[in-house]
Amino acid sequence: MSSKKSTPTQAFLYENKKSLNPITEEQQYVHDVYEKIAQHFSSTRYKPWPVVEEFFKELEIGSIGIDVGCGNGKYLDVNRNIYIIGADRSSNLIEISASRGFESLICDALKLPYRNECFDFVTSIAVIHHFTTPERRITAIKELFRIAKPGSKVLIYVWAMEQTESRRKFDENYQDVFVPWVIPADKNEKREEIVYKRYYHLFKKGELDELVLNTGLAKIIRSDYNKDNWYVIAIKK
Amino acid sequence: MRLVTHNMLQCHVKGCNSNNFPLQLSDVEIEIQETDFNPKFLRNMLSKLEWNALVKTALEINITTLPNVLPNDLDEEFLKMLHRVLLETHIKQGQMICPNCNHTYPIKDGIPNMLLSETET
Repeated sequence: MSSKKSTPTQAFLYENKKSLNPITEEQQYVHDVYEKIAQHFSSTRYKPWPVVEEFFKELEIGSIGIDVGCGNGKYLDVNRNIYIIGADRSSNLIEISASRGFESLICDALKLPYRNECFDFVTSIAVIHHFTTPERRITAIKELFRIAKPGSKVLIYVWAMEQTESRRKFDENYQDVFVPWVIPADKNEKREEIVYKRYYHLFKKGELDELVLNTGLAKIIRSDYNKDNWYVIAIKK
Repeated sequence: MRLVTHNMLQCHVKGCNSNNFPLQLSDVEIEIQETDFNPKFLRNMLSKLEWNALVKTALEINITTLPNVLPNDLDEEFLKMLHRVLLETHIKQGQMICPNCNHTYPIKDGIPNMLLSETET
């Protein structure tokens, strides 16, 4: 954690990551950060992305599925005709999701506590980019397909290196970066701005598709760019 | 946590690969929260459940209304009973114990915590 005066867009850091232990690194730069920023993060997460909303709305009535990395549960009530479990690694975010009346539980995306092929749909929105090694990203994707029924749809969204809509411009030499989360200063509480660093692996065009296809567990039916993210909709084989 | 969610869970401790489902419920506190009855949603959902595991788990929390075999003909009265058991019954506190390795997963304020320590993964 560091404290300094800057605007969110100026605060972007490009740091060449010299990998530590991936477990401790993800603990420090992903899990610990989300626990600390949960309230503020959640207050900024209320507008569903159209592609994701459409994915949920097209599902058959009575489908049972899971959103792995649901955060505050912003997608869990998009379609009231499906049964959806929200899962996240952050207990503070899951408490917010549960307090909104959503089915919520705490688990790790690398080791999902569900039966093989038990879900009619699986989503992973803005999660896989937080894993620090290719092996861990592949493991997380394989887990999504392990719990999906054959023939079911899996939606995966990750942050793109190529961000056209935002003011962020990433240096393509650095795919592994720290992206700050800025909690603004509060004059009433005499608190200065707080900047937390979050780890991201920025996906280049085609990279997510390659990871999905290399699992051999699914075929891709749609692959596109949307809202500064690459996404894939795949069918479990 | 509802019983539908529980029906999907299995133990995932390293090396615990058989007899790891369903997790046994213990020391539970239950709360009923009413919700809209949607028969079509319920009918479609039923075929996706592991029925035997559901019956077994329900008995552990003293719900004795589920038949051992799901009938073919689901009348409204039966669906309303299922609606109560599957969608309105929430496990607020308690724990889930793996029948194979005895690992215990806590449920607190309705939220199961399925994280393992590093040595268990």
